[in-house]
Formats: sequence, structure tokens, C-alpha cells
Amino acid sequence: MKGKIIVCRCEDVTLHDVEHSIELGYADIEEVKRFTGFGTGPCQGKECMALIARIVAERAGVEAASVPAFTSRPPIAPTPLRLFARDPAGDPDDGAGSEER
Amino acid sequence: MAFGSDLVIDRTRSGEPLPERAELVIIGAGVMGLSIAYNTAKRGLTDVVVLDRGYLAEGASGRNGGGVRQQWSTELNVRLMAESVEMCRRFAKELEFNVWFRQGGYLFLARSAAEVSRLEKNVELQRRCGIPVRMLDAEGARDIVPELSLDGIAGAAYNPSDGILFPWPFLWGYAQQATKLGVKLHTFTPCVGIDVEPGGGFVVHTERGSVRAARVLDACGAWSGEVSCMVGVELPTWPIRHEICSSEPLKPFLRPMVSELSSGLYFSQSMRGEIVGGVSLPNEAPTLSMGSRLKFLAHYSRRLVSLIPRLGNVKVLRQWAGPYDMSPDGNPILGEPPGVPGFFLCCGFVGHGFMMAPVVGKLYAEWLTGGDKHEIFGLHTLDRFHGAGAGDVAKEDFNIG
Amino acid sequence: MHWVAVAASAVPQYGHDFPVLTMVESPVSVRVEGSAYTGEGQRELPPRSRPWYACGALTRRLRADAGRGEPLRILFEDNSVRAFAGESVAVALHAAGRQVLSRSLKYHRPRAFFCLEGHCGGCLMRIDGVPNLRACMEPCTNELSAEGQNAFPSPDLDLLEAVDWMFPHGMNHHTMMTGSKILNLVMRGIVRQLSGLGTLPDSDADELPEVEELTVDVAVVGAGPAGLAAAAAAARAGARTLVVDEHLQPGGSLLADPRHGVAAAQAATTDAREAGAELRSRATAIAFYPEDGGGLLAVATPERLLRVRARRYLYATGGYSVNELFVNNDRPGVFAARAVGRLLVQHGVLAGERVCVVGAGDYAATLTRALSDAGCEVSTVDQRERRIIGVRGRTWVTAVEVDGADGKTSRIDCDAVAVAATPAPATEAPRQHGCKVELSPETGGFACLVDGDGHTSVEDVLACGDVCGYAGPEAAAAAGARVGAVAAREATA
Repeated sequence: MKGKIIVCRCEDVTLHDVEHSIELGYADIEEVKRFTGFGTGPCQGKECMALIARIVAERAGVEAASVPAFTSRPPIAPTPLRLFARDPAGDPDDGAGSEER
Repeated sequence: MAFGSDLVIDRTRSGEPLPERAELVIIGAGVMGLSIAYNTAKRGLTDVVVLDRGYLAEGASGRNGGGVRQQWSTELNVRLMAESVEMCRRFAKELEFNVWFRQGGYLFLARSAAEVSRLEKNVELQRRCGIPVRMLDAEGARDIVPELSLDGIAGAAYNPSDGILFPWPFLWGYAQQATKLGVKLHTFTPCVGIDVEPGGGFVVHTERGSVRAARVLDACGAWSGEVSCMVGVELPTWPIRHEICSSEPLKPFLRPMVSELSSGLYFSQSMRGEIVGGVSLPNEAPTLSMGSRLKFLAHYSRRLVSLIPRLGNVKVLRQWAGPYDMSPDGNPILGEPPGVPGFFLCCGFVGHGFMMAPVVGKLYAEWLTGGDKHEIFGLHTLDRFHGAGAGDVAKEDFNIG
Repeated sequence: MHWVAVAASAVPQYGHDFPVLTMVESPVSVRVEGSAYTGEGQRELPPRSRPWYACGALTRRLRADAGRGEPLRILFEDNSVRAFAGESVAVALHAAGRQVLSRSLKYHRPRAFFCLEGHCGGCLMRIDGVPNLRACMEPCTNELSAEGQNAFPSPDLDLLEAVDWMFPHGMNHHTMMTGSKILNLVMRGIVRQLSGLGTLPDSDADELPEVEELTVDVAVVGAGPAGLAAAAAAARAGARTLVVDEHLQPGGSLLADPRHGVAAAQAATTDAREAGAELRSRATAIAFYPEDGGGLLAVATPERLLRVRARRYLYATGGYSVNELFVNNDRPGVFAARAVGRLLVQHGVLAGERVCVVGAGDYAATLTRALSDAGCEVSTVDQRERRIIGVRGRTWVTAVEVDGADGKTSRIDCDAVAVAATPAPATEAPRQHGCKVELSPETGGFACLVDGDGHTSVEDVLACGDVCGYAGPEAAAAAGARVGAVAAREATA
């Protein structure tokens, strides 16, 4: 049946894109992520990482347990910038700027 | 549009072993290492192996904000970057790979008369080098970025030919073309030791085997010292963590990279529509730690929302960090260190390594293949810090982020 | 044709009232009289031997409004839509029969929600002038305005859908149009114009809120069956306990499970509160920052940031719904089974009238029965003997293509697909905190590694429930009770 099989909804990454990345030798989960763009959108891999990791394990012929998760970075959910602006850690009296300036 | 390929770029996955020997081994498959590999191969030296301890884009090359500017405080850097910008414009065609280079300009904002003077002095130098940069008043800055709050802005400098690129594809493009020319790329191949052979040459030992090399080039960015120590060379560089973050993707509205001198804030809109930016944090101790801090988001959002209030309701998607490879005079360390001929350094690029890689790669390749030795290799030597020629090199102090 | 009176009847397992029609032998035309949830209208019902639960002609809602909040009105692309307080924008739009919510980033494919739990990026909309908001996480308020994104002229009909047709095998953006410098420049200009999803917010942030500091003994992340049980156990054991949950209402997977439902979620929540735990809803743990303030958990609420310091952190974040691989698996109408369950159980809304449940296992079976009881025509594809190979339909699912064990392909007409795959452990938060995880298909994905007491690889951090590998709500609640007690004991020692 013709048509796209979407593996990463946020970035419109198809199964074909993932397979192509692996064929080129970019087969580590972090490389597949960067090369295809999966997991870099608004959901940051929540829906797709486990699924794609399993595909990577199969296509690259390795044990599932050897495939690492890609690095999880803050914030876990998209957060408006205004929530951070009054955090005391950002106090300008901390002396932002260096002598190099 | 078919995309089947029998070109394997990264050879580690297929289990291909390292070759026994190579004319040149480049340690570090960041943008510098790959640019040098591609350019040397283009000039006929194809017996090159590039090693990286991790995956492509794991280091600073994969973590930076993609800024490409010609606004510098030394004539050397202005001219080098002018050439680099020209190379970025041609990159997609030459490397057959899209890098999304967009010349939207760089807008530097000054908040005091002293900062305005500093900009004026640099602008004068840059204009003499043919850069179309100009000084603006606050209103002029708002013409370029209508969402800007002019509160406290004393003046600005704007160069429309500066630009922004997406860093990862540079690596893939260089890797693709270098591989087609015969270069062998091996990722996940950490270097564990280097023997300096008495008669000349080296043996590079890695976790996946060893390779004999006539010449070795250390292009490991902030990790360069770890590798140079393997041949007994200590570097005066140190790593400073710089945090950066990206926002949700928005339809295009921001043309230039904007930077605020007083805080080191910089931000731009990427090809994906995300606002990507960072800010300097005070009192940072040297570290290779790439962890994220709330303190960064606090400083960043305070400055950014003050400058562009509309961004208060825009969401942060991800924060990460990368190392600036700091050098004592803000200039890189290139060429052979005293006592180890055939071992080449390529580090200390502070926060402008990525943007310099196209031109530095070309110049290094010319020198390594018997062509011209550009003046930077005579100026930016390691021994300038040991008294020889110290003070002759103009310090670059127009650093951001 | 004849008219049949519609009478209300209680359906105890959902705790709400449904108007019910009993068996009909010949086609019947039903007129539903005006009420706050059904509106007025007429529909034709074909003969069936199972009871029909009459839906409003204009909506997919089942229950009478007794179970809902205040009726209100929201706007979708300037169209008025009936909604209720307490439900999300995505639910209200679906219940009203609204279909395509927006268009995807690269190919402008039609999109609606998939998971209905905030984790799939499918329901991003512009709401009250703020871009890229998850419609399934935004509560309905009166006169709220919801617009699609990345679509012209409208989400239902987007001219740029042509890109999807032009590149049937996908567009390789890395190497396209690199042959000519001029064409490449033009292409980059076009790509930039098409990039991004939402546009800048309509207004500046009104105020920059102060940050709130909280210090507790045990901080629990997630108020599903595991988190609520853990919070109750920890509080009961004397620990000062905070539990944060990102959703509009606590209950997690209980609210999507016909065997548990709203009543079970409310009971678990009450239990935790009565034990003395503090529960914050719409509070998302966004990161653990080890280098700030001696180590703190940052929690974002719609109003402000909370900086939480605890002696023990307990992750009970559950699992994410995962899709299967088949052609056009992102089509609106292809939902996570748990989304279909949540619509039915928590909101009394039908995902569709002819639902195809894809997958096997307890939850798939439970859902199939519940949908059938609710009057849906349910078909099943167990992914063992028969496998789904694709769906048909341009902007909404109209049918499923299936490969049988005999090698023959057949088609099943449907207007909704419920994909019942094992949920993937939601390990973003524990991983970011430094906890080790391991990929194994049986657990659904990357499971958080814990010992028998729920200790992760990070000191001071515990985890329990589906985040340690999918096991379902009962097992999650049992684990929560056990691990919550351990956390409390250690935190107050």
C-alpha cells in the first residue's frame, strides 16, 4: 500500500528517513535523531523515541538493551519564558558580563 | 526523489577496521577536523583518516547557535570571516548538501556611550575591510527588529551580510564529500595514546585498533589538550561552559542575530523557526561539564523578555550547553608545537570556531599539501605564549555568548 | 420511519446518565429534543440488535450534562462550539464533530490529536492568541478562541498539502536543489517562509510572576494510580508530601480505563488528600537542576514556576501512548487506544461510531467491550493473525487495510482507529535526573531501572508504576503504595 509511514509526528519523519540514515552509517540513536530530525520537535521524542529505538536496534542488528535513550534535557515540557524571568538565580546583581567585554 | 545510497559515510557501524596506516590522521570529527579533511582531500591528499570518540555533532560543532559574523575587532579576523561567509554561500552547491545559510545580518546593541564608542571603533575597521556594516541609533535598530524595546538602548551596529547557519548539516556535508574523495571517517573510536616515532611519524592508538600516521592533526576543540598531552604538549587553553536554548518553532519574524553587549545575550531565529540563543553567566569556572542550570534560563529570559517583551509568552523547548575553547588572547592555536614536528594543533577558537572552519579548513589544507602557508600559521603559534612573539598578536576581544 | 422516545437510563460503571434506546428492528429516525449537551437534531439509526445509546445528532456526546461542568461556548476558527468547563479544548472540538485541527510541519498533512495526554504533538493549536499550545491540555473557558496553525486557508483545506503529494516517498531536504546556487537560494527563501508552526503571540506577557519555593520530604511526580497511591502512603507514614500532575484532573490512566474510571480516580485522589498530601494539578515537573540551590525540582504551572526541594523524589510518570507502523498512521481519526478510552470514560464522548481496535491484550479487550456497550460498531485487528497495513481517507480515517494470515488484503470501514500498543515508559524526567533506563520491547520502551523497593540508580530518587515498565493500573497502585512508604521512611529518617 502506497503512502508515508510517519515515525515522528512533530517533524514529519518517515520510516524511510530513518532507514536511509542507518544505511549511511549514521546509526547511533543520537545520529539518527540529528540526521532525520526525529525527537527535535515540540514533543521532544515522547511519542516516538521508544519506537524508533526499536527500529534502530532491528535494522542495525543489535540488542535492544544496547541502544541508549537520547539525552533528555530540560524543560521536559515546553515552558513559557516569562516563568523564568523573575527567578532569583537570574538576578542582575550577580554581575552578568565578563572583563573580556 | 530516490534516496537509496551505497555510500556509507560513517564506517564504524559496518565494523570496518581502521587502516594500518594513513598519511594524515585527524583526531576530532568536529567542523574543523572535517573541513580540513575535505579540503586536503580536494587538493589531492586523500589518504586521510578522521577519528572521533563519539558521534558526529557531539562536541561544540553540534551545540552552537550557528552564527556567522564579520564584525570583529582585528583586521585579520574580519578578513578571514569575509572569506568564510563567501564560502558558506557556496557550500550547498559545492558540498551537495543544504546548510540553510541565511544572511539576515547581525545587530549589536549598546546600552552606554562607552559601548557605542567601542562599536564605532570596530565598525570603522570593518568598513575599511569592505564590510557593509553601519552604526544605527535606537530607532534604526527598531527598523530592523520591530519587536525590540528601545528602553535603554544607546545605539547599535548592523551588518546585513552576516548570517546564521544550521551547524549539523555542515558536518554531514563535509563528511559526505570527504568520504566520496576517499577519506575514511570512524566515529565511536576514542584515541587512547599516541607514540611519537623516533624516525618521524606517529602511531595513534584507539579503542578499536592502531593506525600509523606520517602526520597527526589535533582538532578536538575543548578536548584538544587531552590529545596533545599524549605527545607531551600542554595547552594554555581552558574550557568554559556556555549554555544555550531553543524555543518552539514560530513562523519567520526575526531577521538578524541580535546581541546585547552588556549581558552577552545573543539570539536569532533558525531555519526551523526556533529562537536559539544564550547569554553569559558571570564567574564561570573552567569545566567540561555540559549540564543545564535554571540559573541560565533565569538570566536568559530576564534579558530576552526585557529586550523583546512579546517573547514572554514564547516557550522554551530545550536547553543544552557546549564548551568554548578559551585561549589567553582570544585567538586560536595553530601549527606545530615546538619539539613535535608533524603534529598539528587547531584549537582555542573561543566561540567562533564553527564560523571560521570553512576558511581555516581551506588554509590548513593548502599548507598541509605543500601550498601557501597563510600568515595565521606564523602568528597563531603555541610558542607565542612562551615569550617568542608574545604581544605581536592583536588580541581579539569582541566575543559574545 | 417512526419516532421513538428517548429515555434516560443509568449506566452504573460510568456513574452517569445516558439516554438509551433499546433494540430497534427497522430503520428509525430519532429526534433529540433540545438539551444543554445534545442540542437538537435528527438522525437515522439502522436496525440493530444491541441497545443504542442515543447521541445528540450534532455531537458525539453520550452522557447527560449532569456529569459535566458548566456549559460554555468556545470558538474554533470563528465557528461556535458547545463545550463544558473541566474538559480540554481537544475533547470539546472532537465531541462537536470538529475534525482536522492543524497541518503538519513539513508535508502539511492533516492532523488531530493522537494521545490526548499531551505527549504526541498532534493537537497543537493557537489558543487565545498563544501559539503551539496542546489543545488536549488547555481547559475550555467561555469565549475561548482556538485556531489551527500552519494551514492556508484552513486546517480542513490546506493548499500546501500539495507538498505531501509531490513527495510521495518523502522529501530529502538534505540534498534537494543543491545543483544550482541561484535555485538553492530561492529554495532556502521559500523554506524559511514555510518554516515554523505558530506565529508570535498576540500580546506581551502581562506580568512576570514570582517564583514559589517549596520544601517537602517527598515529592511525587505524577498523579496516576501509582503516584496517588505513593503520595497517600508517604503522607500516611508522616512525610510532608507533594504530588504534582500535569493534567487538568488527577487520575492518570484510571481515567482512560473502563474498569476504573472517574470514580476510581476521585477515590484515589481523595485518599491522597485525606492522608495529608498536597496535590497540585496543571503542575508539570520540567527538570531536576542539580547545580541550582543545592539541587531542586523545577515545576511549571500556568501561573508560575515552583522550585521544589525534597529529601526523596519519586517518579510515577506512567507511560506514553505509542503508535504502530502502517501507511498514513498519522491520519486524523487514528487515535491511541487510551485516547479513545479517555474520551469514553472520562468525558462520555465517542471517538467514532465504527471503531477499529488495533492490537491485543487486556486493555484492547476492555476497550472493545466498553465501546460496544456504548453503541459503537467495533472491529478488531489483533496484529497477530491479521495486521494493519494502512488507513484510507484524505482528512479523516474512512477505512483500515488489513493483511490476513492467508496473505489476502481486506478492508474494514471505520471512522476511528484505536491503536492499542504497549505504552512506552515516560522516562524523560527520571532520565534527566540521571536515572538509568534500558530498552526492552516487553516494557513498551525504555524502562526506568529500579530495585525491589523502587530505588533508581540515583540516590534519593525512586520510581514506580508504568514508568518502570508497563504493568497496568492495578500493579501501578500496588507498587505506588509500597514505594511511597519506602520513600517516606527514608525521607523522615
